[in-house]
Amino acid sequence: MVILTANNLHKRYQLGKNNFVHALRGASLEVVKGEMVAIMGPSGSGKSTIMHLMGCLDRPDEGHVQLSGRRVDNLSGRELTKIRGKEVGFIFQGFNLIPTLSAADNVSLAAEYAGTSRRKARDAADAALADVGMGERLNHKPSELSGGEQQRVAIARALVNDPRIVLGDEPTGDLDTETSDEIIEMMRKINEDNDTTFVLVTHNPEISDACDRVIHMRDGQVTDS
Amino acid sequence: MRTIRNVFRRKLRAFLTISGITIGIFALVVMGAMAEKITLLVDGGTEFYKDKVTVTEGESHGLGGDPMSVEKIRSLENMDEVAVASADISITLEEEMSATFGMPDLITGTDMRGQDLETFPISFADGRDLTTGDLGKVIIGSDLVKKLDGRVGNTITVRGREFEVVGVLNKTFSMPDKTVYMNLSDAQDIFYETLPEFIRPNLDKTNLATGGTIYPTPGTDPDQLADKITAMDNNLEAVGPQKFQDNIAATTGIFTMIVYGVALISLVVGGLSVINTMTMSVYERTREIGIRKALGASDGMIIRQFLGESGFIGLMGGLLGLGFGAITISLLNKWGEASGNQIFLLTNRLVIGSVVFAVFLGVASGLYPAWHAARMNPVQALRHE
Ligand SMILES: Nc1ncnc2c1ncn2[C@@H]1O[C@H](COP(=O)(O)OP(=O)(O)O)[C@@H](O)[C@H]1O
Ligand SMILES: [Mg+2]
Repeated sequence: MVILTANNLHKRYQLGKNNFVHALRGASLEVVKGEMVAIMGPSGSGKSTIMHLMGCLDRPDEGHVQLSGRRVDNLSGRELTKIRGKEVGFIFQGFNLIPTLSAADNVSLAAEYAGTSRRKARDAADAALADVGMGERLNHKPSELSGGEQQRVAIARALVNDPRIVLGDEPTGDLDTETSDEIIEMMRKINEDNDTTFVLVTHNPEISDACDRVIHMRDGQVTDS
Repeated sequence: MRTIRNVFRRKLRAFLTISGITIGIFALVVMGAMAEKITLLVDGGTEFYKDKVTVTEGESHGLGGDPMSVEKIRSLENMDEVAVASADISITLEEEMSATFGMPDLITGTDMRGQDLETFPISFADGRDLTTGDLGKVIIGSDLVKKLDGRVGNTITVRGREFEVVGVLNKTFSMPDKTVYMNLSDAQDIFYETLPEFIRPNLDKTNLATGGTIYPTPGTDPDQLADKITAMDNNLEAVGPQKFQDNIAATTGIFTMIVYGVALISLVVGGLSVINTMTMSVYERTREIGIRKALGASDGMIIRQFLGESGFIGLMGGLLGLGFGAITISLLNKWGEASGNQIFLLTNRLVIGSVVFAVFLGVASGLYPAWHAARMNPVQALRHE
């Protein structure tokens, strides 16, 4: 079952008056439920941009995005916000957690934003953190955690609302090889155990090797998938 | 908790911003307490004047004014509209008029003819009221207890004469707090000696007054009565409720506005520093805002977060400003107590109003930065480093 479709997406960013970056030039792809897919391509090829459109952070200039059979590219800002909260989980590279909040608060915040009560959000956060092996460090601030630990918290946060799809933009970009391997293994395990769909933008061949499929991008288009 | 942690993320800046509000609220509280004291004094005057007319002669204004005769005051009782005309002497308690703030302490002697008609609410903290036979006896206002060491039964010295205190009034937050009340004839003795020696031989001491308090008959409009008295004898200055408002309340009203105006200006500065801080904070946390939006935070949630932070800054500044202000006021009042000169009054409405205003100021100052944060495009915010 196809869970995510990007169809002929175009996105331009205005730099100056007559100066545009054509970040996406008709990119199309499909992701099937339960898949773990890598998106690879040179820097500037539009990988982050397509992730943002698929994750309802922005709308394409042209083309369609469908999430579990429903068009989302023409929804209102309010509806996109709701989808981001409930149906999509994000993992970013590097600074990714809110520095003033503990690990548990970072995770429960995502649940609260999705409309869960504070108490239930906290319970869900504790459970999600335990699932990624962070059950012992609930009350640590991001600055007290290693890069790998921070990224585990980010994964717990992406999963806490049980989203349809998890989007990662270079989730291991800042990590050393060993930690990076642990994170990849963890995502793969979650994918296999829970049938959670992952789409991961990466330069890391270890990630692409672990994935079911690799989508290549170049100059704002998908070259092969 | 999350709000507090976010505010104190930059400790020095949070401290400085809170200080800005603190100073403004401090000014509001201290100056407001001064205005409150005056406002209550004037409110007391308004209450006192609401049903009567005071009469003085010539240029005098009741305080150590020109002498006039008791007879002349009594003769006003011949008017149909006048129920009772009581003769009074009002002079300052201190011989030398020292530079005091607000109203000076007073000696008031009265023939007590109007005692039964007086509606101004006065009650006794201790002792009893004065009667016409109480020569050599006084009742005193609450602000004077410390200054004169005037407890019931004590003997106090007023303008060089000894008097026994028979009653102490409850606080009225008005003129009676600063007044020594005695019989007219005792006051006549004191007043007589304040007059220049060369005119004394021509005066009958028992006929001396500085003014009269006129109690109208039921149904008589005191303002019309005042006009009528002045029309009848244009040497007489008659002040009724309206004239009191025009003369006193209007000028003190302007003073009050200036006082609050000064405090408000310092609060505007405090508000601007909150705007500045919140704007910087929003800018520095651009990426955080992007992440929050990616997690599904709505515009309203982002706005609430930042308004919560700026409101918290306002609350802290308000509480600190109120605290420092209250301490300052109580020290200054303690210091002024010995001279019977407590010029500050921290009323409940000032306490509540200053804190509520501080929070409002914080929230209002946070509106633009918060709106700016909420309006950010999440993709742009996430790309921000
Ligand atoms: N918000 C933006 N404003 C201006 N230019 C942008 C913006 N987002 C992306 N771009 C430009 O679009 C192109 C594609 O960017 P991106 O999707 O981030 O590429 P990738 O993630 O593959 O490195 C780049 O040239 C980038 O500079
Ligand atoms: Mg990128």
